[in-house]
Amino acid sequence: MSEIAPPPAEPPAPLGLYAHVPFCASTCDFCAFYQTEPTAEGIRRFLDGVAAEAGLVGWQSPVTTVFWGGGTPGLLPPPDLRRLGETVRARLGGRAVEWTVEITPASATEARLAVLREIGVTRISLGAQSFRPELLEALGRQHSREQIFRAYDRIRAAGFPSVNVDLMFALPGQDEAAWQADLGEALALAPDHLSTYCLTFEEDTKLWVKLSQGKVRLDPALEANLYEATWARLEAAGYAQYEISNFARPGHACRHNLDTWRMHEWIGLGPSAASQHAGWRGQNPSDLDRWLAGVAQGERMGEERVALTPALLVEDALVFGLRMNAGVDLPDVRRRFPGAPWPAVQAAVERLVDGELAEESGGILQLTPRGRLLADAVGVELLGVFTSPAAGRGSGEPG
Amino acid sequence: MDVSLTRNFCIIAHVDHGKTTLSDRLLEYTNTVQMRVMTDQHLDSMDLERERGITIKSHPVTMTYRAKDGKDYKLNLMDTPGHVDFSYEVSRSLAACEGAVLLIDAGQGVEAQTVANAHLAFAQKLKVIPVINKIDLPSANLELCTRQLEDILTIPAEEAILASGKSGIGIVDILEAVVQRVPPPRWAEYPQARILVFDSLYDAYRGCIAYVRVFSGTIKAHDMMMLMSTGQKAEVKEVGVFTPKMEKCASLGAGDVGYIVSSIKTPSEVKTGDTITIAARPATEMLPGYKEVRPMVFCGLYPLESDDYEKLKAGLGRLQLNDAAFVYSSESSIALGFGFRCGFLGLLHMEIIQERIRREHDVDIISTYPSVIYHIVKQGGEQIEVDNPVNMPDPGTILEIREPTIRASIIIPNDSMGDMLALIMEKRGVCDHTTTLDMNRVMLSAVLPLNEILVDFNDRLKSVTHGYGSMDYELGDYVPSDLVKMDILINGDPVDAFACIVHREKAEGKGRQLCEKLAEIIPPQMFKVAIQAAIGGKVIARDNVREMRKDVTAKCYGGDISRKRKLLDKQKEGKKKMKQIGKVSIPPDAFIQVLKN
Repeated sequence: MSEIAPPPAEPPAPLGLYAHVPFCASTCDFCAFYQTEPTAEGIRRFLDGVAAEAGLVGWQSPVTTVFWGGGTPGLLPPPDLRRLGETVRARLGGRAVEWTVEITPASATEARLAVLREIGVTRISLGAQSFRPELLEALGRQHSREQIFRAYDRIRAAGFPSVNVDLMFALPGQDEAAWQADLGEALALAPDHLSTYCLTFEEDTKLWVKLSQGKVRLDPALEANLYEATWARLEAAGYAQYEISNFARPGHACRHNLDTWRMHEWIGLGPSAASQHAGWRGQNPSDLDRWLAGVAQGERMGEERVALTPALLVEDALVFGLRMNAGVDLPDVRRRFPGAPWPAVQAAVERLVDGELAEESGGILQLTPRGRLLADAVGVELLGVFTSPAAGRGSGEPG
Repeated sequence: MDVSLTRNFCIIAHVDHGKTTLSDRLLEYTNTVQMRVMTDQHLDSMDLERERGITIKSHPVTMTYRAKDGKDYKLNLMDTPGHVDFSYEVSRSLAACEGAVLLIDAGQGVEAQTVANAHLAFAQKLKVIPVINKIDLPSANLELCTRQLEDILTIPAEEAILASGKSGIGIVDILEAVVQRVPPPRWAEYPQARILVFDSLYDAYRGCIAYVRVFSGTIKAHDMMMLMSTGQKAEVKEVGVFTPKMEKCASLGAGDVGYIVSSIKTPSEVKTGDTITIAARPATEMLPGYKEVRPMVFCGLYPLESDDYEKLKAGLGRLQLNDAAFVYSSESSIALGFGFRCGFLGLLHMEIIQERIRREHDVDIISTYPSVIYHIVKQGGEQIEVDNPVNMPDPGTILEIREPTIRASIIIPNDSMGDMLALIMEKRGVCDHTTTLDMNRVMLSAVLPLNEILVDFNDRLKSVTHGYGSMDYELGDYVPSDLVKMDILINGDPVDAFACIVHREKAEGKGRQLCEKLAEIIPPQMFKVAIQAAIGGKVIARDNVREMRKDVTAKCYGGDISRKRKLLDKQKEGKKKMKQIGKVSIPPDAFIQVLKN
């Protein structure tokens, strides 16, 4: 990575730590994340594995942000949460700048929240998804609307500095009025952060099956309308959009994710967790046993493995960076990756600006609202200027 | 040489009036072809000819017939192409005869082609023998047919022979009429050899085989022959007759119909209508009527799959070997890639070539809008010919554009008159004469621009006459016309495949139609895309491609990045397969879908 100049004047480079807790009580219709049913034995093996995997990583700098996702991290019994927390804390240089844990309404018990607070968690992300019983039912969620309120009150009572509420829209059977009602209920809770996700049909989900059977239908025009309605309403309510699906009150944007989108490094622990670290991007096996077997042999992030070449990082810094409202600092990216085909990039930028999909001012390239709705197409347009698939599909040493 | 026992004749008819079936009966009756080897439509050997009931290549055959006068006559029957596209070929086949059997379907009566073919026969001074065919049909109307013979064709009704090719009625009467009414071969006493080429065939082993009618002199193997139009000499390798298979013989003499194989390999060097003479004692005057055949209708042909380019090229080459009237040269188009500019005698000819490419050479092709040849007079008097709108010079340099016209004979039921006149007017035509054929039908004579009948005129004619109308045409003059080149622009970039030459008054309507169609077919785009029709720099119609509304992934965190990348890379590869017109990605078949309509 000698070609990559260090980002100037930025004190110790951020390093994220992501832990994937693969346990869920049931599988939601829309979920494509790897998860399995929790058993005492399974949890014990998982925790041992995380500790062992952490021992394989060549930690060169302290972790700045932590994110526990899943699955349902909140499903772990309090002593297990504490144990996972200890594994993490060993890698922190003092306190984490931000430490997020995803929790479902049904698992937000006072005992769990107390442990999380105690080990240093700063941010809770509550997977509410919807307040409408019929939509929760349709999604296959295992919680009620009342449980959302109770969980939220407990999280606040525990005193976490930052709380996010996850919502989903464009659900089958949800019109704009129903979505506005959900947004209203979420705003009434006054969380610090809101994530609103347009329902995505991922392969290997029950929803995908329903889609392919014609039981549910895609309606891109309605989805676009809902996106726009969401952006307007949340902005008016004091939540600044900082990414396609993420909104925060001042100072509450998720640092961990921002760092990821800026192509900083992170280390993922647990089955199916992805890492971007020490010159490589890769993923662990999406299976508890295979992941454990790998770790036992000293292997991690062996799947979807690509070398982090400057070209790949430039492409991704542009494509994923533009998803953020702050946009991409082109001169900065150019300083970090001078070898990219910049004239072609600039030409593509001009096309996007001409087409009113993006704006450029003082070297900062940002998508317009219309460009944001077409961020994938914009990404393809930008990738088009890079001649070959940039990533050297690596077979090199494990990171 | 005694030619008194030779008769050369052809059969002419409107399509489907039973020409080929009748020929078959004549072959059977004269034992030229045995019953057991007789398949229906023996003479139409090409699949396409059999299927469409039309004759494309000439199929001459020599029969022997013992007439009622006890003498054995040599009858040469020419089965001629029957379509107006091939009118020059028809005229050459007719020129090889002294008589013509004119078939009229007893149920249909005189049709447009009947009239056109009869006039061609009169022009060649042939003795015309009218035959009313299919008289055993329940719908047969003999009275009507004989009246039409007299009224429209001025042929005395008593000359008509009643026949049925299907059941063999009247076959002997026809053969007797040929012997008695058709004069023996003309110009047999001319002092030197004069041999008319009326068709040719390419054979992979023997090169070009000329189909000939000997008017005077004899020709045999090892003679040195000469083509009079070019002076080219060649050694005769073989001569023979059609039985109907080619059968070698010692020599061909005056009045004979047969073939000549020479040292000439290239079919295009042996032109239909040319006169062959003997190089040692050459004739000084060619047989009358020779002209260079020139394609009238042009279009671009492109392979649907660009990998098929070489296959298409080979296919066109092979078709051209047997069809000197068909020409092609390579061209390329921004929208369609690499292909060929092709020239045809007419619409049917174009359709046949396209179909044979698809069928016999197994290449899927797309054709651009057909065009005619325009004569352009430029400032300063220079004249150029343009068969591709792309090559139209800058409008500022043009003094005048002339377009080819046709003279059409259209036969329609009386009650379609209004609709038909409206159609002719819509197509910028002028109807200058109407003739009442019978109680129900009229014949219109009209002059129309050729480019207006290229695409859908025949379909529209059939539609306004509920299938009863028929049309034939001959080429007319070039006339000055207010024509303009219309470009179709996608975001300001012209798309060559859609450029066309249209009458100024029709440009806007056609422009709007094309813009609409493209806007509908091009999938939604991320960039704003304007589709415009323009003349010179002036936009006369426009439309917008639908804008892509939403294309964004909701969740994109660390673990999603690899997956997302793969997806975007895949989309990027897909985009490469699209045609890029400026910023716009258009699936290749979008153009095809528009051109198909």
